[in-house]
Amino acid sequence: MKRPFDFWYIFEAILDLLPYLVSTFMMLILSILGGTILGSILAWTKIRRRPLATGFADFYIYIIRACPPIVLLFLVFYGLPEILLRGFGIDTNHFSQLFFVVITFSLLFSATMAEVIRSAVAAIDKGQREAALSIGLSDMQAFIRIILPQATIIALPNFANSLIVLLKEGALAYTIGFIDVMGKGILMIGNQYGAHALEIYIALGLLYWSITIFLEQVFQKMEMKFAPDKVYRVEKRSEKERRKHEF
Amino acid sequence: MLEIKNIHKRFGNTEVLKGVDLNVEKGDVVVILGPSGSGKTTLLRSINFLERADQGSMVFGDKKYSFQKASKKEILEVRKKTAFVFQNYNLFQNKTALENVTEGLVIGRNIPKKKAYEKAVEILTKVGLSDRYDFYPSQLSGGQQQRVGIARAIAVEPEVILFDEPTSALDPELIGEVLQVMKQLAKEGTTMIVVTHEITFAQEVASKVIFMDEGRIIECGTADQVIKHPKEERTKQFLRRITNDMEYAI
Repeated sequence: MKRPFDFWYIFEAILDLLPYLVSTFMMLILSILGGTILGSILAWTKIRRRPLATGFADFYIYIIRACPPIVLLFLVFYGLPEILLRGFGIDTNHFSQLFFVVITFSLLFSATMAEVIRSAVAAIDKGQREAALSIGLSDMQAFIRIILPQATIIALPNFANSLIVLLKEGALAYTIGFIDVMGKGILMIGNQYGAHALEIYIALGLLYWSITIFLEQVFQKMEMKFAPDKVYRVEKRSEKERRKHEF
Repeated sequence: MLEIKNIHKRFGNTEVLKGVDLNVEKGDVVVILGPSGSGKTTLLRSINFLERADQGSMVFGDKKYSFQKASKKEILEVRKKTAFVFQNYNLFQNKTALENVTEGLVIGRNIPKKKAYEKAVEILTKVGLSDRYDFYPSQLSGGQQQRVGIARAIAVEPEVILFDEPTSALDPELIGEVLQVMKQLAKEGTTMIVVTHEITFAQEVASKVIFMDEGRIIECGTADQVIKHPKEERTKQFLRRITNDMEYAI
């Protein structure tokens, strides 16, 4: 039996869903952390060009990239407990779904981040490093003070893109019973025997759209802040100079 | 003060340096001339270990370094005694003109920030950029960028400054302002090794001119000897070509 479309129910649904954004963001933040750390290690391995390690990194990235997120999710959900139990004697029965979700999306994100970081570092002219060495900086100092800040700016747009992809792929986490906004939405539909499904999906769509727009804005601001030599400062400076000439 | 012996370097199958000796005294301005591919830039980069030469050694001050075997610590030591001015300036893009100069002082030499700042201001004023302290490299002209590059090099008070074609990426109009700064340095007794195609500069300030071709030193002497009265046919040929170019330049 289907109830008629109820426009106002969309807002009711949004209010019911809102608290579950906490889980969505928790999953996102932990996956970004894990994925970025792992991705940095992979990128570093590839930059150093040690044949064996690079080969391993390439293989790993290939495997993860070629795996549909939902397949990887179930591989981790069913496979990891087996490995942990047989290999290390760790019982995962009481582990929350968040654990498996974060592991999955960290793995996914790390493969993307490895390429994002590697290409950003590779984009920096090697003269930057040489100039730093020539005035007596160590390799490490040159990397941290000169190369990394510039690479971060280059990586930022790609990072933002990957993050938005991750946000959307993250909606799959409900399939293993993780209750984030998506999971809650599915539960609400189920509890009402499929009634108001359309309203709830519209509510979910609105939520994901808003988060994406919000993230895009944040990253645009960050790009301007981190790129001190780009348009932003020039405008600010010319404004300052104009004011100076007025006096 | 700096004595290079029998330096060899090869890239793959090409031997770029085939045993070069070079002697630099304190206060010398050594100008290295030569066609492209003659190994002059590689020689300069090897002195600073930006390139690792395959053979040869160098006595710098009272210490001897092997090009092939120098340890990380020794390399850092040499780099602290030298400074490098690059063809493409290579200013730190994420730092202002002032920060470009203070970086080597604060991080490389552990000089307190305030002192480094004062010194950087003084040096930038000296190269004529007193109104450009907080401009980023992308906001400066080529000539201004290269003057910041020179300021960054002199700030660390190196015993030798290595110039790798410092004016060859510049518009003809901007070359003058960079050469002027270099002439000023020469006058003050700064020891410099300069790879350049600026013959007039060589004639005016060089205490020693070296002509290189195919990884070897062909001729070496005062500017007068090498440029005005070259002995070797190869040198004459090269000089004829670049001075002809100058006549035809529009």
